[in-house]
Parts: sequence; C-alpha cells; structure tokens
Amino acid sequence: MEEVDKILIHALKQVGTDLSEETDSVKQFSSELIVEAVVRCIRVIDPALGNALPTLLPHGMSARFRVGMSLAQACQDIGYKGEIGYQTFLYSSEPEIRSLLMFLVEKLPRERFEASDQPSGKSAVLQRAIAAAIKAQLAVPWLPPNCRLPKYCETQSLLASHSFHVQPLSLPHCTKDPDKKHLKEVKDYQRNVLSPVTAQLSSRTSVVSSILEQHTAELSAAQEWDSEWNSQGLLSRLTPQEYRSRKLTRLRKRIEEQLRSAALPSAESACGVPASASDLSELLHAFRGSAPSDHVLTKSTHFTHTQKFTFTQEAAAVTHSIPTGHQLEGDVQLRQQEELAALQEQFQQLCTDVEHLSADMKLMSVTNAQVLDELKQRELANVQNEEKMQVKKKTIDLLPDADGNLLQLQALVEASTKRVVNLASQWEKHRAPLIDEHRRLKEICSSQDMESSRKLSEIKSLHDKIRVSTEEAKKKEETYKQLLTELENLNQDVSRSAYTQRILEIVSNIKKQKEEITKILSDTKELQKEINNLTGKLDRTFAVTDELVFKDAKKDESVRKSYKYLAALHENCNHLIQTIEDTGTILREIRDLEEQIEAENGNKTVANLERILDDYKAIRQENSALAAKVREG
Amino acid sequence: MELSESVQRGLQALADASAFDQSSFQALIDASHRSLLSSHGDPAVLDQPELKQIDQILLKQIHTAATTFILEAVKQNADKSTISSSLEELTFSAERIEIFCSIYQKYKKEVEHLLASIGRRPAQINDVSWRLQYHMKNGQVDKVNEPFYSISLNSEKEGCSEDINFTCTMEQLQDLVGKLKDAAKSVEKASQM
Repeated sequence: MEEVDKILIHALKQVGTDLSEETDSVKQFSSELIVEAVVRCIRVIDPALGNALPTLLPHGMSARFRVGMSLAQACQDIGYKGEIGYQTFLYSSEPEIRSLLMFLVEKLPRERFEASDQPSGKSAVLQRAIAAAIKAQLAVPWLPPNCRLPKYCETQSLLASHSFHVQPLSLPHCTKDPDKKHLKEVKDYQRNVLSPVTAQLSSRTSVVSSILEQHTAELSAAQEWDSEWNSQGLLSRLTPQEYRSRKLTRLRKRIEEQLRSAALPSAESACGVPASASDLSELLHAFRGSAPSDHVLTKSTHFTHTQKFTFTQEAAAVTHSIPTGHQLEGDVQLRQQEELAALQEQFQQLCTDVEHLSADMKLMSVTNAQVLDELKQRELANVQNEEKMQVKKKTIDLLPDADGNLLQLQALVEASTKRVVNLASQWEKHRAPLIDEHRRLKEICSSQDMESSRKLSEIKSLHDKIRVSTEEAKKKEETYKQLLTELENLNQDVSRSAYTQRILEIVSNIKKQKEEITKILSDTKELQKEINNLTGKLDRTFAVTDELVFKDAKKDESVRKSYKYLAALHENCNHLIQTIEDTGTILREIRDLEEQIEAENGNKTVANLERILDDYKAIRQENSALAAKVREG
Repeated sequence: MELSESVQRGLQALADASAFDQSSFQALIDASHRSLLSSHGDPAVLDQPELKQIDQILLKQIHTAATTFILEAVKQNADKSTISSSLEELTFSAERIEIFCSIYQKYKKEVEHLLASIGRRPAQINDVSWRLQYHMKNGQVDKVNEPFYSISLNSEKEGCSEDINFTCTMEQLQDLVGKLKDAAKSVEKASQM
C-alpha cells in the first residue's frame, strides 16, 4: 500500500494540493485534507463542476454536512461507482478514501504528458531557446543608464551598432585543384603580398560580415549546382566540365544575340552618338573571344580617335602657353583669353570637321559596300553567260556532220547506260553488306542507349536515395539532440523511473509468491493423496484384522477380549481425528474473526461514533440557537 | 553545421598532423580568433615563429577557413558537442578538438559581442517626462477647452541621448499606452513557449 500512497500523494501534489512533506500515507489524511484533495482533482477533471465547490471545510456542522453531500454527488457525477456519501469525507475510513483517490487520480487528464511526447522540429528547439533567453532578460531588473553594471550592458544599453556592410574579399585559391594551373606571378602575389582575410578591410565588422557573406554565397552556389546537376546535368550524359562549358557557350550566344539586337537599331539611328554602339560592338567581340583585338581597335572607335585628337591638341596648347608666361600679367591674361577663345573656336571647328568627315566616311562606306555587291552580281551574271555561250558554240561545231555525230552520240549514250547498269549492280553488291553492318551497329547503339539510360535512372534513384537518407540522418540527429536536451530538462522528475523500477519489483515479487502458492498447493494435494491412501489402507487392514480376530473370537475367550479392545481402539482413533479436524476449523474461524476485528478497528468505528455524537450535539446546539434567534426575532 | 567546400578543404589541411604540429596548430587557432577581434586588421597576425615553416598560401587558406568556421559556429551558437562532431567529420583528432574547443570557449563571448554589434536597432527609451496642458482658445476658435499631453521621451541610441517630443490628446495617449501594454504582453507570451 505504501507504493500506492506515494503515487497518490505525488499526483495530488501536482494537482496543487497543499500537502506537507511528512504525510506519506493516506492514513494521515485529515477530513480537511481529503476535501481539498478531492475538490482539486475534480477541478482539474471537470472545471465547471469543480469551481462550484469550496476547497476548505466550513466550521458550521450543517454546512459541513452539505459540503460533504455535494462532494459525494460530484464524485458520482464523474463516474465513481463505489459507496459514497457525506460520511466518506467527514468520518473517513482509510480503504474508502484510498479507492476514491485512486479513481480520481486515474481520471486526471494526461494531456500534459502527451504534449511533451510530441516530436518537434528544429524550429521548436530554436523557439524554446529564444523564449528562455527572453525570460532571462525579462527577469533582469531595469536600471537607469548611470547605474548599469557592465554585466547588463549588452542587453540594456546599446553599444554602437554597425550596419551589415559587405565588401569583396580576395581569397587564395586552393592549390590542390588540379585543373587550375596558376601563374607563377599569381602565386608570388598570393604568397608574399596578399594579406590575410582579416587584414584586407579596415573595419572588423565589415570583415565579419564579408566572410559570412562569402561563405553563404559559396554554399548556396554549391547547392544550386548540385540540384541542377541532379535534375538536368545527369540526363545530358556529359561530364560536369563538358556540361559547364556547353552551358557557358549557350549563355554567351544568348547574351550576344540580345546585345546585337539591342545594338543594331541604336547604331542605325544615332550617328551622333557613336560611343554606345562602339562599346557594344567591343563587348560583342570580347564575347567572341577569338577575334583579334587589334581589329576591334581599328574598327570600333571613332570616339576614341576624336578623344585622342582633342587631348593631344590640348596638351600641345598647354606646352605652347608655358613659355609666354614670363610677360606682363594683364597682357598675359588678355593674350591667354584670346588664345583660349581662338583655340576653342579651332577646337569646335575641328570637331564639326570630324563629325562631317565621319558622316562622309559612313556614307562612303555604305556606297562602297553597295558598289561591291553590284560588282559581285555582275561577275556572277558574266560567268553564267560565258557558260551558255560555250554550250552553244559546241552545238554549232557539231552541226555540219549531223548524222554521224548523232550515231556517235547514241553509241555514247548506250555505253554510258550500260556502264550505269553495271555500276548499279556493283553498288548493290556492296550495298547489301554495308546495310547489314549499319543495321547491326544501329542495334548495338540502341542497346547501349538503353543500357546507359537504365544506368542513368539507377544513378538518379541512387542520388535520390542518398539525399533522402542524409536528410533522414540529419533529422534523426536533430531529434536525438532535442531528446537529449529534453532528457536533461526532465532529470528532476525522478519518480517515473523509480515507479517503473518499483512496479518491476512488485511484479517479480508477485511472480515469486505465485510460485510459492503453486508449490504449497501441490504440497497440499500430495498430502491429501497420502491421507486418502492411508485411510484406505487403514480401512482395509482394519477390515482384515476384524475378520481374522472375529473368526478366532468364536473359539477363544481371550481373543474375544482383544477383539473388543480392537473395536474400542478404532473408535477412539476416529474420535481423535475428528477432534483434530475440529480444532483446525476453529483455528481458521478464529483467524477470520481476528481479521474482521482488525478491519473494524481500521474503520475507526468507535472514534467515528464519538465524532458523530459530538457533531450531532453540535447540530442540536446550532438548531436550538437558531430556534432561540427565531423566537427572539 | 554546413560548410562550403573550400572551408572543408582548409580545415582538412589543418587537421593534417604531418603539416602542423601541436604548437603551430594552437598558434594558428589562437591567431584566427585574435585576428577576428583586433579592431584594425593586423596584416602581421600570421607572422609567428611557430608558423614560419608553413607555406604562406596554404597558411592563408587555412586561416580563411578557420575564421569562417569560427564565425559560423558562433553565429549558430554551437556548443561543444556540435563543434566536435563537425570537426570529427573533418578528421580532426580528439586532442586537437579539445584544443580548438578550449580556445573557442575563451574567445566566444567576445566574438558574440562582435556579431551582435552588426545590424540596426531602434533607439531605446530611457526616461519619459510629461505635462498636462489645457488648450483654451486659438486665433480661429474662441472656445476650444481641450486638455492635451505634451510628452518627451528621452531615448538613447548608440551611446548618445536624444529627446523625442510630441503632444497628443487623451485618446491618443490611451491608444499609445494600450499599444505599449500589448507589446509587453507579447514579449511575455513569447517567453512562455
């Protein structure tokens, strides 16, 4: 019963009953305590029902009686099937209270336990950590800024904050990468000049943010490549390098097309602004990569030419102006201004000249191209005409000896048809094996194709499996960690494991007892069998002796006497056995009665009766007081 | 903790016992932490007698990897078990993990402060003073007779204080107080997950 009481008391404490540490069994519960425990349980089980009940017993006897009645009613409403009334609470007996409390504790909702069993993800752990941090910060008292201890500075006062500012970092690339051969100069630079990442930027916060950004960028790029390779790259049946280079050329081509389509109209429309067009064409050439760069330079830059021209002019002007600087100041200024104006005029004129010239050049180049086109067409026509002329010339040559030539021509035609037929048969001969070969190769090809696609799908499924299992592993690791933290948090609640251990002990005890009981049972059975055996034997021996002695008794007097003794002995022994059995039953009865007495003593009948008498007197007093009041009123 | 390929490679090189002996390993880890915390980037942070015999390019790569790893670990508030499991995957020996963790613990708070100082935050209210005023009349209306509050919030941002002044009517003030109470309640709710 100790175990049961401990579990009950633990559960009642969790519900909120004010139990002192010393109470460790239901026997020590007073009426007040019982009422409080029961009401608290009912409040948890059914708040609507429980909130109407008071947790404290009132002083007045009749009020107590009413509370007891309503409690009993509430317990029956919840579903308690045992015997219950006001007496259960006011004049408690241990077994009744125990069974009532056990019923109530079993009825307690178990949501709390279930909630903690639910697996929650990474975000839940994070949220819990955040909640704990907020709680800790809330617990810290607020202090005016002057009184702040350095301990609280980080949460309560604001240090100078820096914005998240990212700058590119120059990282030494890994030399382990075999396909990237670094130039010696680059290596020298990295070895001797390049400073470590943390020294590359001036502010340490931007160093930190830049490093984090760099790492995240690398990670996400790797992830993107991974997903792309798994989805598209594998199907293309190329090596990663080939796939990459193909994608690069495709992208380049597309950009080139876009740029060209954007550059063409602007080049046509805006002769005055050649800069953009030329820049774009430069870009285009750069994309092509293989185009020789000097070609770009010569062709592209009207703009650079003009620029070069004006800059050299200005430089020349400056060098001119320096020697004249020694003359009088006013004179110098005037002259300089004049010179400047003149130079500007000159410059403007030159600019307009250049523009004119460039426009002329464009026109010229266009006409030139047109003329060239025309020339080509003319040449083509010329060649055609010449061919026609030759054919006609030959026919004219053949005309004089028409018949002979006709015959010759026919013979020629026949011979050529024969040759054609011959060639065709030969071709057929060659063709058949070639076609067979072709078919065979095709079959092999298709079978290889099938094989490779099968392998591809296998690879894909493997990839999927790998991904799934890594994800699973990660998830499991996370749940493991979470459970570990939960376990750490739960450590205060030892009772559970203790209970299970005790339950196991009890179960083993019960097993032992069962074994003993079966042993005793078999023992008694054996005993019974022996007893039966012995009585049977006794009966038979008695019958035989009785017969023998009876036969002799007719002849001999002394034997008759012994026969009488024998009968008396038998009867006395029977008496003895009977008495022994009677004592056994009486002993059993005595034990039963003793148990009953103990049970009655446990019910505290006498004390309860006394209390009932007292309470009865109290009620009578109350009643008489009330009656007196009524009379007075 | 997810790490990019270059960081993994750098750390694997660092784990290589043949390239780094114990003292140079310790010196490099310590230098990586210190280089993050030094207020002005010190280019001579890797010029130490223990690290002289190592190839400078490799050293710089490893330094980059180590600083990245440290920052990521502090960013995720990684505890010892997480760090040791990540380093174990990168073939670090138990002894070196121990060294790394002890140095990491030594500098963790400071790096945390450094990371916490990145970002923006609004000004913080330190004090408030208020005055109840009565608006009797103005140029347009002869009888206004309305009370209003003029409130001055003493706020602090990045160490310098600043006053925010405004006036509001009774209802507006009630609204403000209600909002503030809501905010306090939300914070409390967030702490009871």
